[in-house]
Amino acid sequence: MELVCYGLNHRSAPVEVRERFAVATSKLGEHALSLREMEGIEEAVVLSTCNRTEFYLAGSSAAEAAEALRQQLGAGGQDHWYEMHRMEAAQHLCEVASGLDSMVLGETEIFGQLKTAYRHAHEAGATGGVLNRLFQRAFGVGKKVRTETSIQEGATSVAGTAVELAEKIFGRLDGCRVIVIGAGETSRQTAQALVSRGASTVFVTNRSHDRAVELAEELGGRAVRFEEWQSVLAGVDVVISSTAAPHHVVQPFHVEAVRRVRKFRPLFLIDIAVPRDIDPAVGGIEEVYLYDIDTLDQLARDARGRRERQIAECRELITRELEKLNLPGT
Amino acid sequence: MDRWALIIATLLAAIGGVNGMLSLRHGHRSGATVYWMVATLVAQLVFLSVRGEARAACPLMGLGEILVFLAWSLTVFYLLVGTTYRLSLLGVFSTPVVVVLQLVALIPGVLESNPQRVAATDAWRETHAAMSVLGYGALALAAVAAVMFLVLNQQLKSHHLGSGLFKNLPPARELLVSLRRLLWLGWVMLSVGVVAGVRMPRTEGSEAHLVAAMGVWVAYAVLLGVLQLRGITGKRLSMWTVLLFVVSLSVFASV
Repeated sequence: MELVCYGLNHRSAPVEVRERFAVATSKLGEHALSLREMEGIEEAVVLSTCNRTEFYLAGSSAAEAAEALRQQLGAGGQDHWYEMHRMEAAQHLCEVASGLDSMVLGETEIFGQLKTAYRHAHEAGATGGVLNRLFQRAFGVGKKVRTETSIQEGATSVAGTAVELAEKIFGRLDGCRVIVIGAGETSRQTAQALVSRGASTVFVTNRSHDRAVELAEELGGRAVRFEEWQSVLAGVDVVISSTAAPHHVVQPFHVEAVRRVRKFRPLFLIDIAVPRDIDPAVGGIEEVYLYDIDTLDQLARDARGRRERQIAECRELITRELEKLNLPGT
Repeated sequence: MDRWALIIATLLAAIGGVNGMLSLRHGHRSGATVYWMVATLVAQLVFLSVRGEARAACPLMGLGEILVFLAWSLTVFYLLVGTTYRLSLLGVFSTPVVVVLQLVALIPGVLESNPQRVAATDAWRETHAAMSVLGYGALALAAVAAVMFLVLNQQLKSHHLGSGLFKNLPPARELLVSLRRLLWLGWVMLSVGVVAGVRMPRTEGSEAHLVAAMGVWVAYAVLLGVLQLRGITGKRLSMWTVLLFVVSLSVFASV
């Protein structure tokens, strides 16, 4: 008995290749059954999502069958396909179930998609002792990875880190008001991330007003003339600053002037400019939380490091679980 | 029996607190804290019912009973307010206060070993005692929320964000909202207690106690007034809340 995984995914193939081999959900069982009719294959499951198409095969000569399948698929662009055998294939299935192989690490949708694929194959009578045990174990491992590790935690980009911090300060961002000073790319990404989490009002100001209007339109916000941004400060919760100014744009007196009007509410300042736009002394004001690009980048790097350690832990957990299974074909 | 119930209540709160803190060290919140606090509440109720039966009145005679009543009140408010999502960590911060209050009550001599039946009860006196202590329970929980805010604020300001505690603390604004609500609730209850205190029959020493209680009431009123009218930073609001609560404990000392 041999176990083989043959497939392509978002890392190995671009969307125009993936879409050629996508299988409709309603056809998954039928497809798995047709694979079982191939010589040397006794069990099959077909998984097809927007990010991957994979064939899990078990049989006396599944490797040869996979070769036959490759020719049958006429797989133009052979480079896009990967083939895994025995333990490697089982490990891969568990990683898919756990979200480790997903575009968004740890996402949960794949778990449901994998269950659907298995159910269709099972109902069509395309699975047997090996794949039934393997898939059941993969579902168990997927749940365990999500409950025992925290692979999804911690933003790994500057924009994501800024959003996480905003949520730590304000909770839900619904109703949060944001001003973007300087219409650079990182500030656009950060503002967009805040809007996607519920920030309701975005003001954009830039030395070139046209650019501010452009970005404001993109974010569904309002452009403010550069000389007027201070008047908006009293009403906002988050300031994202990324101008090319060689001096500090936001200084302590700007914030001091609006503290009373703001009733000393928390104010989150994100300085992603180099040289810095916000005078570090502003961070000394009690209700102000000031983060510059270096701090945000460091936090994102820390999160990436933690995530890598978590992935290694998940892989160890998967290996341990599979060893316990002692499955024929692996 | 009553002393044993109090010892059990203290142990349960301590176990809940330690369990919660250990979970935090491992980077997650313990869902069990709330159950330990429910068990603590049950043991506190046993203590209070035994004492209440012995007194044939609300068990609020002497420092020991008042401290236990305060710990019970804090537990009740935690279970009412703190068990909502994201504020469950309030339990981990509340348990040390509950434990300390009950431990003080357990010091020999603090709690009357043979509670005497109260000869004549007075509705104003009972209302004053019960509402004041309930009010202090809410204010104690406000102080706990204030400590949580101060911890979070310090971590956010100094960019030390890697701890399990930071990950599990509720957002700063939510803490401030809870803090404000608890202050209002505590102050309103305290107001009822003070009004009842003015109406109750005077005894020796009750004058000084009432003056101290009114002083606390005025101090909280000023804090709420400033908060409402002028606004105040989260840090200052939290520091004042903790300070006022600690000072207000002196009212009990003057009982």
